[in-house]
Amino acid sequence: MKNAKLIAILFLLMAPFLYSCQESTDVVESGTYQGTVDEVEADKTEIYVKTAEGQVLELYFTDNTTLTRNGETVAFDQLQTGQQVEVQVEKVGQRLDPIAVRILE
Amino acid sequence: MSDPTFWRTEIWHPLSVHFPIALLLLATIAKLLALFLPNSRADFWHRGGAYLLYAGTLLAWLSIYTGDMADGIVSRKLCDPTVLKDHEIAAYNLAYAFSAATALELGLRLKLVRFKTGLLQVVVVLLMVVGSGFLAYAGHLGARVVYQQAGGVNVPAGDCAGF
Repeated sequence: MKNAKLIAILFLLMAPFLYSCQESTDVVESGTYQGTVDEVEADKTEIYVKTAEGQVLELYFTDNTTLTRNGETVAFDQLQTGQQVEVQVEKVGQRLDPIAVRILE
Repeated sequence: MSDPTFWRTEIWHPLSVHFPIALLLLATIAKLLALFLPNSRADFWHRGGAYLLYAGTLLAWLSIYTGDMADGIVSRKLCDPTVLKDHEIAAYNLAYAFSAATALELGLRLKLVRFKTGLLQVVVVLLMVVGSGFLAYAGHLGARVVYQQAGGVNVPAGDCAGF
């Protein structure tokens, strides 16, 4: 029974740490940011960008989002994890709408 | 007159998510009860709780799948998608907790695990209690997405055109 109580306490203390296993995202002000593509979800036309400051931006492309490389428009499938990008975002409420995404390499 | 666009992709999540909520909470209550009942009566509640746990865990993962389908559509329209992100994280945490409970419960039921079985039954219940905590939080955040931000909801035109 003593062991059961100890295990119970350990489990309850462990629960908050499950949260740290998943990465939450950040909200930033409207502007232009540089960072690395952390994840690409092609079926949702969504990318995660990790900025130099360590913030993670979750960006869902809209119909108005432009994606360019060397000034030329490219398709979404050109985005890959690890690429350096510059993103121009507009903060709408707490949502970040990507205006322009430029692949830097 | 019903809206012809009812069967949208994002509808599958609310259609599927309420089954695991009910099953997993009932499973946790049944297993908790079993811990405090005499052995003669505890077996029924242990067995019932186990079956509810198996079904609920399977449906929890199905709900995560349907939630992922809805995410790409709903997130683009929300004013605060961070709530949806936290909802997703809580959902994964509850699914991990109940999956671990299911694996351990199956191990005990099929006698694959034979040591400290009484103590491990307590661990199963603790995992389910932790999972239920995340379940309640995920449910709360899901409700915030729907009732505060109209996530996945068809908002009729002001003149009710189409109805």
